[in-house]
Amino acid sequence: MSVAVTHQTQPANGYLATLLAGHLSAPSPTSHKGTMRGQCIAPPVLTALQVAAAERVSALNVPSTRDEEWRFTDISLLTKLSFQPVVAESTLQLADIARFTIAEAGARLVFVDGVYAPHLSHTEQAEGVTVANLAHPLEKSAAHTDVRIATYLGQLAEYKNNVFAALNTACMSDAALILLARDTAVRQPIHLLFIASKQGGVSYPRCLIRAEAGSKATVVEDYVSLQDEAYFTNTVSEFSLADNAHVHHVRVQREGMNAFHIANCAVTLARGSHYQSVSVAMGARISRYNLNVLQAAEGGECTVDGLALISERQLADTHTCIDHAKPHGISRQLHKCIIGGSAHAVFNGKVMVRPGAQRVDSQQTNRNLLLTNRAQVDTKPQLEIFADDVKCTHGATVSQLDGEEIFYLQSRGLTDVVARNLLTYAFGAEILERIPVASLKHQLEQTVLEQAGLKQSGLEQMK
Amino acid sequence: MSAVLQNIINQPYKHGFVTDIESDVMAKGLDENTIRMISSKKNEPAWLLDFRLKCYAAWLKMEEPTWANVHHPKIDYQAISYYAAPKKKAKLKSMDEVDPELLRTFEKLGVPLHERMALAGVAVDVIFDSVSVTTTYKARLAEAGVIFCSMSEAVHEHPELVQKYLGTVVPTGDNFYAALNSAVFTDGSFCYIPKGVKCPMDLSTYFRINTEESGQFERTLIIAEEGASVTYLEGCTAPAFSSNQLHAAVVELVALDNAEIKYSTVQNWYAGDENGIGGIYNFVTKRGLCKGVNSRISWTQVETGAAITWKYPSVVLLGDNSVGEFYSVAVTNNYQQADTGTKMIHIGKNTRSTIVSKGISAGHSNNSYRGLVKISPTAEGARNYSQCDSMLIGEHSGAHTFPYMQVRNKSAKVEHEASTSKIGEDQMFYFAQRGIDAEAAVSMIINGFCKDVFQQLPLEFAVEATNLLSYKLEGSVG
Repeated sequence: MSVAVTHQTQPANGYLATLLAGHLSAPSPTSHKGTMRGQCIAPPVLTALQVAAAERVSALNVPSTRDEEWRFTDISLLTKLSFQPVVAESTLQLADIARFTIAEAGARLVFVDGVYAPHLSHTEQAEGVTVANLAHPLEKSAAHTDVRIATYLGQLAEYKNNVFAALNTACMSDAALILLARDTAVRQPIHLLFIASKQGGVSYPRCLIRAEAGSKATVVEDYVSLQDEAYFTNTVSEFSLADNAHVHHVRVQREGMNAFHIANCAVTLARGSHYQSVSVAMGARISRYNLNVLQAAEGGECTVDGLALISERQLADTHTCIDHAKPHGISRQLHKCIIGGSAHAVFNGKVMVRPGAQRVDSQQTNRNLLLTNRAQVDTKPQLEIFADDVKCTHGATVSQLDGEEIFYLQSRGLTDVVARNLLTYAFGAEILERIPVASLKHQLEQTVLEQAGLKQSGLEQMK
Repeated sequence: MSAVLQNIINQPYKHGFVTDIESDVMAKGLDENTIRMISSKKNEPAWLLDFRLKCYAAWLKMEEPTWANVHHPKIDYQAISYYAAPKKKAKLKSMDEVDPELLRTFEKLGVPLHERMALAGVAVDVIFDSVSVTTTYKARLAEAGVIFCSMSEAVHEHPELVQKYLGTVVPTGDNFYAALNSAVFTDGSFCYIPKGVKCPMDLSTYFRINTEESGQFERTLIIAEEGASVTYLEGCTAPAFSSNQLHAAVVELVALDNAEIKYSTVQNWYAGDENGIGGIYNFVTKRGLCKGVNSRISWTQVETGAAITWKYPSVVLLGDNSVGEFYSVAVTNNYQQADTGTKMIHIGKNTRSTIVSKGISAGHSNNSYRGLVKISPTAEGARNYSQCDSMLIGEHSGAHTFPYMQVRNKSAKVEHEASTSKIGEDQMFYFAQRGIDAEAAVSMIINGFCKDVFQQLPLEFAVEATNLLSYKLEGSVG
């Protein structure tokens, strides 16, 4: 992200402009009073981190399309609007959020407009497993937990040159915390639910997942909305996997259609660990997801799949970077986009093999389906290889539905519309099938069916 | 570092050229007067001077591009002399006087004997009369109505054509190096194929024998009228030594209705020594415009030389059903850097493009493919297929791929695939099993890797390119 660009055109009342003009005051312990009730787990560490991040926020600029990383994603709309952080605790009841809950989930942490909602959440403090919010004092909070949090929080997600990550780090008031002790396996998925309920609100959701050696868990990171007006979600997630840990990460972004969603996710893999992720982007007016996976030790493995399903005037941007820093790493990536209306999908998938990272095996595929003539796609699969004994491939395609496939289905008695919708659904289903949580998978499939118009066409029953 | 560069820029031409035949070299530096002086020395018409000045004004406002994946010390544009009258080569009396290193290269490449002499600057009157051959060629071309001459000649003889097309494909302010070239270009080639004419010979052959030192700012313009077709080969497989640090050429191709242009390049500029000292910066803008319906432009390039290559031969597919092709082999060794690829801009309906790029990096070199496939909303039924494969030899080299795909029309079909690999141990074992030594095996594997591109070259160049590759990579394996 270049810092050389100046932005004279921004109106002074824009939320980001105000922040970046230096009005972001470094957080002091007292400023947390409103949101961080009770005793903070590690206030000095958090404060130091937040002061450092706030400094970066005032040093950096809002990226524009002149920056290579943001070339196809114009966020000037976001910079013009003004947003207010929400501090009040939510009055939502369980019934209000019932449709978002996941039946299989064990622990659930719910944040409404960035504020932790204990009455909607279900924390877990079992043997070897901690699922809780950072600000909330934990019963059995041990000194070594504080140390662990300080070791990882803000250390994985780079904020020095990333204005949104810096903003999140500086402004976060709480975080979802998952700590897995050595060799613990959590069978039930852990649900992190972030709900946006206020128009014009801004929230800074934050997740920290540390999986000790040999542990195993499935984490669902879920962004939903109860209203359709503009608001801004700026989130950062950090995953740290120790040797042979295995984390399944399902990320669902179903924000309101006028929302702005900017997310950074950083994953660090130790020896032999395995990170498997499926991210689905359906909502938001403008969304951007940066996923950086660092294979920091030998034999790391990651599977990074994604689906963007957008229509109308939506823009969904996915930037992934898989950094093979050490030998014998494996990475697999399948990213798909279904673009309707006059929507715009952006994909930038970088695979990097550092000097000496021999025997890396990497595969990346990006497939884009254009449903209308006003739909746009910009894709850039990118390889940077500095080691000779590697196997790296990538492929990308852009097209519409195949005429012959439609004809085949029509010859079987399906109408043109049903044939098209069925093929569109099948295109997206390849990714959804990889979601390991059955009820969530079903929910998302329903959404795709609705979007593809298959529900009305009666095919749903046929299925 | 910049002191080193200064040295290189200031070095006198060492390889068989003498400057005292015509010591008409302009003082170093670049300003408006330099351009006026170039223009007046070449006795150019006013419109061309205006064109140059306009380009110079645009260049002054531009910034040197830094987005390419190449690193070099800053170039001092005031330390270059922008005009030297055509230098005459001092003719050597026999092959004995030629640098043995050069002879050895010719031997390895299998360049025909008479061409070796011409290339090495030996007087060839007795064995091979290049002048008469030239005349014969010229007569045959004239008969067909083909105009093929130097750019300065064309400016005087065919001003209407030059004026009509110059700068139409690569506009004035296109990019930093193109603008610089447009302001200060000294010479280059001009080629015009009239309506319905199929050029009676590959212009390659002609051009190769008459390899001239046309300077570091070359300008080439090729126009194929309706239904015309031409094959053009630029460059030469023999190593071209030059003291010039910066080469910023511009090539423009225009294909009208049903016309076809095939442009092949074999580039083997001086790449610097094994420590990466010296060598040419090859910053070239090449672009073709498929202006008419059913027109076709095909670029084939074999890039083996130059310390730094920055080159993206592109095709603008404006006419309906037009076709653009790009076939490339880029080899880098030692400390060479190449950032090369293509741009295919689809505007017309049913336009098609194919990209095949093969990159081989050995030693400490870095090889990047950078490409753009753009489908405009108007490009109904456009089709693109891209394939870029990289091969790495040795653990200190790097291979990079930066393909951009921008699609604005749903009926378009765009495919891109890329792979990176090395020569497999099992492949080597298979060859060893059949009694083929490592060097020959590597050479065969690499030639197989590049086959798709070599097939696009005229036969004799394909043979030479094959040899050139083995020569370039000699000693880098095993």
